Amino acid sequence: MFLNQPYRSAIMGLAFALASTAALAAPVVSQPAPVFSGTAADGSTVNLAGLRGKTVVLEWTNHECPFVVKHYESGNIPNLQKDAVAKGIVWLQVISSAPGKQGYIDGETAKKLNADRGATPTNTVFDPDGKIGNLYEATNTPQFFIINPEGVLVYKGGIDSIPSADIEDIAKAENYVSAALAELAAGKPVTKSSTKPYGCTVKYSG
Amino acid sequence: MLILRFIPIALLALTCDADAGPSEAATEQVRAQLIASVDAVRPGDTIQAGVHQEIIPHWHTYWINPGDSGLATRIDYDLPAGATAGPIQWPTPGRITLGPVTNYGYEHEVTLLSSIKVPEDAIVGGVFPIKAKVKWLVCEEICIPQRVELALDLPVVAPGQDQGRGSELVGKAQASLPVASPWPVSVTSGNNGLTLRITDTGLQPDNIKNIWFYPSEWGRIVHNADQPRLVGGGTIELKLQPGDDAPTASGGRLNGVLAVTENGSDGPVTRGFIINAPVSAAAVDSAPAAEPDLALSSALILALLGGVILNLMPCVFPVLSIKALSLAKHAHQNPLQTRLHGLAYTLGVLFSFALLGSLLNVLKASGAQIGWGFQFQSPLFVLAVAYLMFAVGLSLSGVFSIGGSVTSIGSSLAEKPGYTGSFFTGVLATVVATPCTAPLMGAAIGFALAQPPLVLLAVFLSLGLGLALPYLLLSLWPFLQRCLPKPGLWMERVKQGLAFPMYAAAVWLVWVLAQQAGNDSVAVALGGMVTIAFAAWLYESTKTGGSAVRHSGEGLAALALAVALTGGYFGVEASFAAKTRSSTASADNHWEPYSAERLNALRAEGKPVFLNFTAAWCISCLVNEKVALSQRSVIDAFRQSGITYLKGDWTNRDVEITRILAKFGRSGVPLYVYYPGGAAASPVVLPQILTPAVVTQFIKASARAVSQS
Repeated sequence: MFLNQPYRSAIMGLAFALASTAALAAPVVSQPAPVFSGTAADGSTVNLAGLRGKTVVLEWTNHECPFVVKHYESGNIPNLQKDAVAKGIVWLQVISSAPGKQGYIDGETAKKLNADRGATPTNTVFDPDGKIGNLYEATNTPQFFIINPEGVLVYKGGIDSIPSADIEDIAKAENYVSAALAELAAGKPVTKSSTKPYGCTVKYSG
Repeated sequence: MLILRFIPIALLALTCDADAGPSEAATEQVRAQLIASVDAVRPGDTIQAGVHQEIIPHWHTYWINPGDSGLATRIDYDLPAGATAGPIQWPTPGRITLGPVTNYGYEHEVTLLSSIKVPEDAIVGGVFPIKAKVKWLVCEEICIPQRVELALDLPVVAPGQDQGRGSELVGKAQASLPVASPWPVSVTSGNNGLTLRITDTGLQPDNIKNIWFYPSEWGRIVHNADQPRLVGGGTIELKLQPGDDAPTASGGRLNGVLAVTENGSDGPVTRGFIINAPVSAAAVDSAPAAEPDLALSSALILALLGGVILNLMPCVFPVLSIKALSLAKHAHQNPLQTRLHGLAYTLGVLFSFALLGSLLNVLKASGAQIGWGFQFQSPLFVLAVAYLMFAVGLSLSGVFSIGGSVTSIGSSLAEKPGYTGSFFTGVLATVVATPCTAPLMGAAIGFALAQPPLVLLAVFLSLGLGLALPYLLLSLWPFLQRCLPKPGLWMERVKQGLAFPMYAAAVWLVWVLAQQAGNDSVAVALGGMVTIAFAAWLYESTKTGGSAVRHSGEGLAALALAVALTGGYFGVEASFAAKTRSSTASADNHWEPYSAERLNALRAEGKPVFLNFTAAWCISCLVNEKVALSQRSVIDAFRQSGITYLKGDWTNRDVEITRILAKFGRSGVPLYVYYPGGAAASPVVLPQILTPAVVTQFIKASARAVSQS
């Protein structure tokens, strides 16, 4: 009956509507994944739209981030990559580090690093201006997005359930990425389709 | 090479006990120290222990919810058998933004405390070892996970023995912990996202520098989204953008900390409030654009029906029945005149409602916190209407009548032969109808108040039309008039009978007045009514006398009436003021108002004094009073130490208080000063953020200092 509540709600609603139009359209699970194209480590251009018909994994990475180190040193991510690629899944590392920031590398270095780490992603996509990162609102390294053959986003989040930098936690954690890929392969919906990513901040410019 | 960063770099070993590990360790970015609230423990004690981190500039460690990235600091205590450690008590965090990524954490320094229970069987004379494995992620742009192991040995002393004061960092940490919100908190979820609302704060927006809600779990809200806020009318409202795991209205809860930063006397002061609120569905999601017409039309119909029903209200019915009865009397005389009277009455009602609607619009535009029946928030208005009801009742009872041809004041205007009379009957009907509208018209008026001015006006006019409708129809259609009963003596009886609802309405209003302005106002109101009755009787009984008698009667009656009105005005004002004063004083009657004389007198006697300078618009002041100064432990401590608690209110920039603030080098509030006992003791200034522990520790510390000197 008092004025303040509805009146205020109206104003707030308006303010909020204005604020949210300014915000980015976040990628939403079970909606079409935002399409992008970017230069890859082998010099080619990777175009997401051209990958229809295949399951695509996007892995935001920064080889100097301790959390990425944890999952590469332990063999966790390289193993996932190997299994996925063997099953015909396209695994793309995405590097959104801006020039001069931690994790910013060129194609040759990327290939060498992967060879050293026993990592076998399909390709590495460079995103030095952060456009792809902003499109997906990627905040962490490592952070994952899985896109089904229809181009729909089916998973976004972290690698596993224990946010820590300790290698010994990997064995105890529930691996969300492998679980999602298994469910996808079995034709089932992904149970945990949106999880908390953990790790380092993506080193965008500015 | 990178793996090196996992290795702790313990550089310092400052503890005196050689067997234990170091209580302090440092990495390149963070110096960590294990601290405790005591120097010695007693069996069965619960103490506070924690890790203090000193972080180099530009780097930060994380809160329990690190935000978009990062990792919360983790402490694993290794304690003797039987001892337990509670969860980390997280201080209010800060926001660290890097591009599109928002993190919650701590810069410069932070202390993470936990409660530690010492077992009952701890052996007196032995040691109680506390070991802590501490892991944190420290980030600037790049992030480094680090871990250290710290240890602290505390001697176990016998029960009753002094535990010592422990680390002063503990008290500082406790002051940085969020406190339970002293105000009601609600969270609603609707099409516009989540709305966090804190009501009844009584706070002014001018002083608030920043407000941010930190969710304690990931995914509840979008961390990097703006949190548009509205502050005013004692309410703080934040709009939160729901995250990937947002709580819903079906059983969800929103947990976290609301950090309010206010411009304090020593620069900005941030205070955290614990939020743990169930999420409810938003009542009315602000007018969805798709269906405003439907909502408007139903509101108009609702208002019309409500207006019609108002005719039956005890406050309105008598007035209108008299009008209707007079209609019955003159019905057969001149149909045209009757119709014009009906229209004049309708105009009167509509005019009054338009006036009320416009007034609401103006007040609304000025941001006042009002609702329907807002005029009844004024005790003076309530008193005036109570007098009016009473006078109408007297007139209906036949105590007095004005003029020769008219028979009562209820109809003094209402029964004036002219159309003005009818017009003012409409005005009168509106005035007496307002108290009855609130419960009945809630929905339609609630809707109207949320609408643009024109819509609000339309709803109000519709309400007025409803009120006027029965009489208007009656005056327009002679057919209906024929249905009215024939006039006769019964009309006089009905009229007298109708006086009683008016008296009842007056009684109700006096009761309302008592709630608003206290018991004294009841005596004032009833005394005023006796005076009014006297004036009415005097007027009526001298009316038929000679010109001199009549004039002196009228004069005396007018005088009595004036006495009733002015007496009522000042009486109610005084009673209201007294009530307001006593309600604030009775809530915490352990303090006295500050005056320099009182302070000087107490100091001259060597009595300990606690000074609190506050203002109604200062958040920290109000919060400190609620969470610390009016807590039982503090009141008891004051009483035990014989401390007189003086409170100075600087809401209106009192000169005397400005002077003493300046004496302590402050230009604003809050200011807390403790004068220990002894005329020569020098005053101690307390921090701007108080907890019961901070206050009692200051009192204890000063007492100790005084007893030692």
